Amino acid sequence: MSEITAAIDEQAANTLFDTAVGAVGPQSRSGTGNLGPFTASYTVTGTLSNGDVDLIPPGTIRIVDLRLDWQLDLSFGFDLSSFLPDFCLPQVCVNIPCVGRVCTPRICIDWPTVTVPVSFGDFVKATADFGLSITLQGGVWKVEAVVQGVPNLQFGASTAALLVAIGLAATPVLLAIPFIGPFLAVAVNAILVAIGIAGITGFLGPILSPFVSGLRIPVYQQPQQFVVLPAETAVDPQVDIVIDQITAAVAHNAPEDELVLGADISA
Amino acid sequence: MSLTQAENVYIAAHEDALNALVEAVCTDRPRLLVYGSPAFVPTTTVQETSMAAIPFPGVAGGIEWRVRLSRPVIDLHPQSVALPPELALAQGGLSIRLGVEICLDCRRLRIDPRPPRPNDDDTKPATHPLREATCCKLEVFAVGGLQRVAAAGGQDAITFRIDGVEIVDVAPEEVERLLECLLFMILQAVLATIRIPLTALRAGAFALALTVGPAIEDDQVKARGI
Repeated sequence: MSEITAAIDEQAANTLFDTAVGAVGPQSRSGTGNLGPFTASYTVTGTLSNGDVDLIPPGTIRIVDLRLDWQLDLSFGFDLSSFLPDFCLPQVCVNIPCVGRVCTPRICIDWPTVTVPVSFGDFVKATADFGLSITLQGGVWKVEAVVQGVPNLQFGASTAALLVAIGLAATPVLLAIPFIGPFLAVAVNAILVAIGIAGITGFLGPILSPFVSGLRIPVYQQPQQFVVLPAETAVDPQVDIVIDQITAAVAHNAPEDELVLGADISA
Repeated sequence: MSLTQAENVYIAAHEDALNALVEAVCTDRPRLLVYGSPAFVPTTTVQETSMAAIPFPGVAGGIEWRVRLSRPVIDLHPQSVALPPELALAQGGLSIRLGVEICLDCRRLRIDPRPPRPNDDDTKPATHPLREATCCKLEVFAVGGLQRVAAAGGQDAITFRIDGVEIVDVAPEEVERLLECLLFMILQAVLATIRIPLTALRAGAFALALTVGPAIEDDQVKARGI
C-alpha cells in the first residue's frame, strides 16, 4: 500500500479531463495530400474538447465522443495537363534559295497548374482508449493518459460540404480560362462528385488522425522535490519532501470505478 | 466500498507519510523544536528560537532556560506504539511520543548588601555568560487528535491537538503533575505551529475542496471532498 493515496470517481475524472484536454490548446500541422487526381498542400489547426470519461479497470480510461474542431486551409492544385492533351506545333522546314533549308522549332504548350485556395472548418469525434504512463524526467513526476492505437474518426455529414467548397472555389477560377474554362469547370466538378464522401474522409483521415493518435493528457505533474511549505521568513525556510515513488491505476471499488494515484515520500 | 464514497475525491495519508512530513518540517525548520532565553539562545536563527528569560525579583536578567524537543513520532489509531497505562488511544485519535530536555542556568546568587534601589530592573537582558546548565531529559507521551486549520497563505491544513500528556517515572506525583501541566502547554503550543497543508497529504494530486474529514482510521488520515 502506498503511503499516500488519492482517488477520484468518474464524475471528478470528467472534470479533470475537461480541464486537462482544454489545456492542450489549439495545435497546427502542415503537409501535402492527394484528393483523387488533385494535390493539395494544407495547414490544419485542431482544438480538442473532452467527451465522456469511462474508467475501465485495471488501466484504461475511455473517452467517448472526444471532439476535434478543425480548420483547414487548403491550396488545391489543378494540373491542366491532366485534363488537356499536350498541344505542340510541329517543326516546319522550307528550302530557301541561296539560304538553304530553314526549320522552325517544335513548339509545345505546357498547360499550367491552377492553384485554388479553400478554407473549411468542421469537427470530428472519436472514442479513444488511454493507458496510464508514469515517468520521472528532469526531476518531475508525470502521470499521463496516453492514447492507445489510432482511434477511428467519426466524420459528420457536414464534412461532405468540403467537396462543395472546393467546387465553389475552383469553378470561377477555371471559368476564367479562355475557350476551355467551361470544359475544365465541368470536368473538375465531375471528378469531385466521383471522389465522394469516401474520398474526402480518406483525404482528411491521415491529416486529422495525428491530433488524436499522439495525444498525451496530463493527469498528475509534480516536482520530485515537493514543496510542503514555502519560505516564510529568513529563519523559516522552505520545507520540502521527496516523492520517491508514484503509482497509478484504474480500480474497481464497488460500486465505483476510480482513478487511484499512490505516492511514497521521504523527508 | 469505494474510496470516494458519496464524494468525488479521496485522499489518505498513512502515519508513515505523516511522520515523513513532520520530519521534513522539523529538519528544515529546527528552531520549532528549540527555545531558549538569551544565555542559551542569543538570537533566533533557523536552528533555535530566542525568547525572554523568566523575570524574577533578585535574579539579574531573569532565570535563563532552554527547552529542546526531539522530533515527535505520530501513531494513528489503531495503536501500534506502546503507551503508558495512564493513556489510552481512543478511536479516531493519535498518540505522540517525543523527548524533552529542559535546562536552567543555575547561578549562585549573592545577596546585595546595599539598600534596594528604585531603578533596579531584574528584567533587563542578562549580560553574563552561561555558567552551569542544569538539565533533565524526559520521555513524554501524549494523546490527542487532528484539528483542521489554515496554513500560511490560507490553504487548508491539519495540526495536532493534545488531550493528555504523561511523563513516565517521575516522583513525587505532584512534581509529575506539575511537569505534565508545563509540557501540555509547551507541546500544544509547539505542535500547533507544525501545520501540514492538505496539498502535501495528497502529494499534489487532484484538487480537493474538503467536505468530509480529516479523520483518523486504519493508521491513516482520510479526507473526502469534491
